[in-house]
Amino acid sequence: MPNASDSTDLIRLAGVGKTFSPTGDVALRDVSLGVGRGEFVCIIGPSGCGKSTLLRLIAGLETPSVGNVVRPDRVSFVFQLGSLFPWLSVAENIALGLRAKGVRGAVLEKDVLKYADMMGLGAYLLKRPRELSGGQRQRVGIARALAVEPEVLLLDEPFSALDPKTTYELHNDLLRIWSASHVTVVMVSHLVEEAVSLADRVVLMRDGTVERVYPVALPRPRHELTKEFSDRVLEIRRAFFR
Amino acid sequence: MPQPKRALRRRQRLVLRYPVTAWERFYALFLIPVLLILVTALLFKNYASPSLSILPPNASFAYIGMALLHTFVRLCVAYALAMAVSIPLALLVESSPLMERLLLPVFDIIQSVPVLAFFPVAIVFFLRFGLYGWSTVFILFVSMLWNVVFSVVGGLKVIPNDIKSVASIFHVRGASYFLRVLLPSVVPYLVTGSLLAWAQGWNIIIVAEVLHTYIPGASDALDLFGIGSVLVHAISQGRDDVFFASIAVLVLVIAVLNLLVWQRLLHYAERFRFD
Repeated sequence: MPNASDSTDLIRLAGVGKTFSPTGDVALRDVSLGVGRGEFVCIIGPSGCGKSTLLRLIAGLETPSVGNVVRPDRVSFVFQLGSLFPWLSVAENIALGLRAKGVRGAVLEKDVLKYADMMGLGAYLLKRPRELSGGQRQRVGIARALAVEPEVLLLDEPFSALDPKTTYELHNDLLRIWSASHVTVVMVSHLVEEAVSLADRVVLMRDGTVERVYPVALPRPRHELTKEFSDRVLEIRRAFFR
Repeated sequence: MPQPKRALRRRQRLVLRYPVTAWERFYALFLIPVLLILVTALLFKNYASPSLSILPPNASFAYIGMALLHTFVRLCVAYALAMAVSIPLALLVESSPLMERLLLPVFDIIQSVPVLAFFPVAIVFFLRFGLYGWSTVFILFVSMLWNVVFSVVGGLKVIPNDIKSVASIFHVRGASYFLRVLLPSVVPYLVTGSLLAWAQGWNIIIVAEVLHTYIPGASDALDLFGIGSVLVHAISQGRDDVFFASIAVLVLVIAVLNLLVWQRLLHYAERFRFD
């Protein structure tokens, strides 16, 4: 089965279901999926198919109604609109998770500067989120998530509100960070092209369950104009829109 | 002009080494002034004592100013108490759906009862302990309390779920969650609630210092020294000069407070508002 999990996987979901009370809405049913260490997985699917709920289950923000979720402790999350604290500076937003971990003083400074530089935010450390563009806010969100050195980085449609140029730049930044750190990435997207250009595997969800998993064995960097890329996109898109 | 990289780095280090967090700002803006006012209140020897049944013939602006200061201290003490009680009450309401279902209707009923209905009972209660001056503070406290409680409850309700999730993901919990997430999130609502609370307080003070009217047979020696009682005594004794001067000073002080404190706080609180 393409979506079944493996005992060596870093994240394992077995027969997972999620029903929200008191409405009784079924968000997920019988989801089994494994994500290997260092893998880049994209979850796509129509609106309301349970992508974000699945991500929140992996993050530990929701508990499954049935089934079992195995995940490492060090999981970090990037939200759709950055979800920054408006009263904190960029530096303090990045430092949020580090402070909660008890990191202080010179180590804190060093780590914040390291991740701010990594995301090209060196000149914006004193700014507040309201003074930043959408792309810069999302960079802060990613820097904040990476600063706690997670084993798993979860991203919930992080580029959906950004312009194409910023999205392209952030794709490159994300791939650069992923290939350098080998953090395991699970990202929710609503764009097939985005999923194919980034992921090792694309998970197609429908009606609260995993419909099919598509491996993407194309070499990186991937160029959208190549035949192999287009073929893969078309294949997944056909299933997506059926 | 771009700053030299080294200078920029130094500034960045300062930002992290001496972080001015929301809590520190709150501490500086609210708690320190409130504590100072509390200490001042304790130092006022005649704080709760009656001092006028007949206005002095030479009641000057200094006299009116002193009356206003006494009233202001009473309002500050009541406000400090309202803040201390209202934030935990609001947190309790928001702690679970059950608490909200239980407490909100009760609060709604209590706050809809006219605050002066409690006054005779409060005076009798505080008189029993020889602290009848505190009955005024109590009434001011009750009149201020609900404005802040309902504002803060409203503020807690509109914290985006993603912000709560961020706190959960990054293990910001307990006191840190309160100080770094909840409290800053409700600052705009706290300021709005406080503004309404003070407006309510100024309204009530006109009648809350004239204690003798609430106790049958009591003399006006029971009244507290303050701008409210000065106004009432000025009217009853036909002292139009004192009355108009008091009104003018009261309006001036409220206008200055609005301009220098509330407008600035409202502007400042905007930075705590979620997009």
